[in-house]
Amino acid sequence: MTTSGAVGRMPFYVLTGGLAVIFLFPLVWSAVASISPAGATGQTHGYGLGNYATLFDFGAGLPRFFLNSVIVSVLTVTITLVVSLFGGYAFARFEFPGKELLFLVTLAILMVPYATLLIPLYVLLNAIGLQNSLIGLSLVLAMYQLPFAMFMMRISFEAVPRELEDAALVDGCGSFAALRRILLPAVVPGLITVGLFAFLAAWNDFFAPLILISDPSQAPLPLAIATLRQQTMGAIDYGATEAGVVVMALPCVLLFLLLQRYYVRGFMSGAVKG
Amino acid sequence: MTAASRRTGGPSSTARLSLRRSRQLQGIAYATPTIVLVAVFFILPLLLVGRMSVSDWSLLSGDRGINFPDNFAEITPNRLFWPAVVFTIEYTLLVTVLLVGLGLGLALLVQEGGRYVGGLRTIFLLPVAVGLASASLLFWGLYSPSIGPIGPVLQQMGLTSEPISFLGTPLAALLSTTFLIVWKFAGLYMLILLVGLQAIPREVYEAAAVDGASRSQTLRRITLPLLRPSLALALILCITGSLLAFDQFFILTKGGPNNSTVTVVQLIYREAFQRQNLGTAAALSIIVLIVLLALNVVQFRGLRSPDKA
Amino acid sequence: MRDFRKTLMVAMGTTAITVGLFAGPLGVAAQDDAWQGVDDGTTVTMWTRAATQARSQALVDAYNASHQNQIELTVVPTDDYQAVVGAAAGSNSLPDLFSADVVFMPNWTSQGLFTDITDKIASLPFIDQVGPAHIDASTWDGKKYGLPFVIDLSVWMYNKELFRQAGLDPEKPPTTLAEFDAAARAVDALGGDINGTFFGGSCGGCNVFTWWPISWADGEPVMNPEGTESYLNSETMRTIYSTFRALHEDGITAPGTQEEQGPTWTGFFPQGNIGIMPMPASLQGMANDNLKDEDIGVTQIAGINGGQSTFVGGDSIGISRDSKVADQAWSFLAWMLGDEAQVEVVAKGGNVVARTDLADNQYSSADPRLVLFNSVAGVGETPFALNFGQTYNDPQGPWLVLLYDALFGDASLIDADNDAINDSLQP
Repeated sequence: MTTSGAVGRMPFYVLTGGLAVIFLFPLVWSAVASISPAGATGQTHGYGLGNYATLFDFGAGLPRFFLNSVIVSVLTVTITLVVSLFGGYAFARFEFPGKELLFLVTLAILMVPYATLLIPLYVLLNAIGLQNSLIGLSLVLAMYQLPFAMFMMRISFEAVPRELEDAALVDGCGSFAALRRILLPAVVPGLITVGLFAFLAAWNDFFAPLILISDPSQAPLPLAIATLRQQTMGAIDYGATEAGVVVMALPCVLLFLLLQRYYVRGFMSGAVKG
Repeated sequence: MTAASRRTGGPSSTARLSLRRSRQLQGIAYATPTIVLVAVFFILPLLLVGRMSVSDWSLLSGDRGINFPDNFAEITPNRLFWPAVVFTIEYTLLVTVLLVGLGLGLALLVQEGGRYVGGLRTIFLLPVAVGLASASLLFWGLYSPSIGPIGPVLQQMGLTSEPISFLGTPLAALLSTTFLIVWKFAGLYMLILLVGLQAIPREVYEAAAVDGASRSQTLRRITLPLLRPSLALALILCITGSLLAFDQFFILTKGGPNNSTVTVVQLIYREAFQRQNLGTAAALSIIVLIVLLALNVVQFRGLRSPDKA
Repeated sequence: MRDFRKTLMVAMGTTAITVGLFAGPLGVAAQDDAWQGVDDGTTVTMWTRAATQARSQALVDAYNASHQNQIELTVVPTDDYQAVVGAAAGSNSLPDLFSADVVFMPNWTSQGLFTDITDKIASLPFIDQVGPAHIDASTWDGKKYGLPFVIDLSVWMYNKELFRQAGLDPEKPPTTLAEFDAAARAVDALGGDINGTFFGGSCGGCNVFTWWPISWADGEPVMNPEGTESYLNSETMRTIYSTFRALHEDGITAPGTQEEQGPTWTGFFPQGNIGIMPMPASLQGMANDNLKDEDIGVTQIAGINGGQSTFVGGDSIGISRDSKVADQAWSFLAWMLGDEAQVEVVAKGGNVVARTDLADNQYSSADPRLVLFNSVAGVGETPFALNFGQTYNDPQGPWLVLLYDALFGDASLIDADNDAINDSLQP
């Protein structure tokens, strides 16, 4: 054991303190830079919200891009939760032909690179009329969440003792009612973890919207802010870019701080098994 | 339910049979949304990309018929292909060593309890919550000659006389992007390894202490071997993710300077949308898929370590 | 009987006169309005690239202020334009109007991205006075798909004040490449923040725009007319490369030259500390606190042995094949080539007009620099190649590789790099 007392712990505090500063610095800097004066931005003199004003003027406007991101995230979370709730229930509590095959195929989504599927999805969405739409994008993002979500929900359901719903089933309760009244409350923590992961993935995704969304007014925030950089010939608006970063990062940071233990939970379930 | 089956099995087994059938059907019913989503958005595109990879498929004019093996034959002669492969592998090795190493270091630092350490964990995890594109845009400003703070600070401290070019040379671009990725993901790998660390029972450490093992001996002989599954998972995730890198290079360097930071996925994007050829893009992405599958199989085999306790 | 016939003839005569009176002017009036398209308050979507944003925005704003139709303009980053339009075309989501770098037009017209507007173009009363370069570039298989939108010419701009300080005559700008080189070096010798010149070392499109005219001024083509063979390893081009290589190696160029990928290359001259550099022929928004308007000098791009030329570039514009409001979209096109738009918006903003009959307008004749812009268009060229974008504009294209080797790397690779360009040009 190390020597007791604060002296022996000094190197520890110095090291971890230094690391903490390095980790926090970029985030703090971007917030400060977004309101600081800089040439060729909307905020040339003094501190203020000029860069944020630029975001409102750009293209379809910040509220529209923000709304796009909200819609995509909410849709993706909803679809993921619904599909994995029912699917996890099916895998954990029912036997049917092809069950394990379906589960393996779902997990196999992890093996296929993002780019490999996006090219045909671009053609496919076009064929079924979902091109350039937020709902089409959300379905794609939900599909990518399936491996983790299904795995998470399956083990969440499996962790609930069967006796709980068996009693209800014997009483004549249907499987849906058993799900709704007994199992659902028990797997809520799993649902929150799945929802959190799905939200973060959907809110922050860049590659899928880049390929699947052509209409600039339908763009979610990451795509819109990346496009914003080159608006006028001769100047790059770095200030507005950082303002955009703050707008994108803030909801994620807040949500993460609020639901951090659910995030950690997501790793505890799968990580050890490897 | 016929009279015949009634006579043979008896009411209870028939009831059991119908209950089982009913349960099966219900199971399938609950699994239906999964089946639909997987079939339409995973299986179908997978089959489609296979078909596209052997077709002359233009972005603007669509499918123009099978042309196997032209698309595949055009991959290796592409003057950007091998440099992109080499760079992607270089980048993967660099990032994996740094990320898993740093993740392990952080996990070891924060494995105890307490509020200070809990706060540290949160701080290290914060960049993970921020998206990759957001982080890339953040660093794009951080590295810029206009508003980047690092250059001016170093100049004021007298350490450098010229403005630093973070993205202006191939080496600088690689290192700057690596720093971004390590900053963003270190917390994630810390978490994965932390979970593994916390699964090691205290008794093992106590026994080692009783035996007089030093800290580094404990680390090397006991902790690391027991961490093997978590380390393997971390390695798989990191290698796979780095081989598929796109967002950060697209936003920070656009493949520059002088095509020195072009990754394989960036080539796929370029084939599809700059060269307007979905067929060759599909062929290239099939190659990437095969390589990754092979890699995953190898890594999973390695995960089944022979000395698993 | 005779009365009846007389009445009939009078009636017919009256009718004929009446019909003639009304149908005549009314008929002409109906024809007058038709060529202007439909203005009924529709929202028309339009895309343009960042490189020409200032001028596009000015035209769109003026149109929106004077019409019921409203144009929704979206500006797309220049580097991404080809990819973004391609992705939209592939998913049938092109906007109503979109402009295209004129060198992309052969590729896009041949792929059917635009609506055929041959008849509409023919109906324009001033069509014979519209400069033909952009329309020709937008013609495929005998059908016309585009009109000139922003005329971008390349010229040499120089800072008269810095010339004076360096002992150069501000009214006698360089007339050969060697004089350009000498002038840049003279200004750079002033020291401090001042630099002789600048160029975009990592920008393929920029250097096509600014260096090919030097070769053309010497009568040396850079490609064959079909756009399938490159002469970019010619002696003339090599002299150009080595001139600018030397300027860079000797520190005459401003910092950031090698890394400049294009977004900010035109932002340096207005800062007032560059001696001379090629720039787009537009004075719009250029003068500021650091660079007074009277200090902005312009001259034609000259060759190694004199001569003059320019790159007749910029954007063409057409109606996309997906558009459901073609007549309303046409309303903008017809208006922007009209007298009012060309004089009060384009010329007033210090830009080159698309109408040869308006080149001599009140704004341009007041400023000899605008007269020069308008006149140099006549001696310039627009190169043609089906695979122009993926060869010359693509950041990963082979032209940039050749440029890099010629300017910053191993210049002996120029021939091999030119072979790669040839490969890329093949349709």
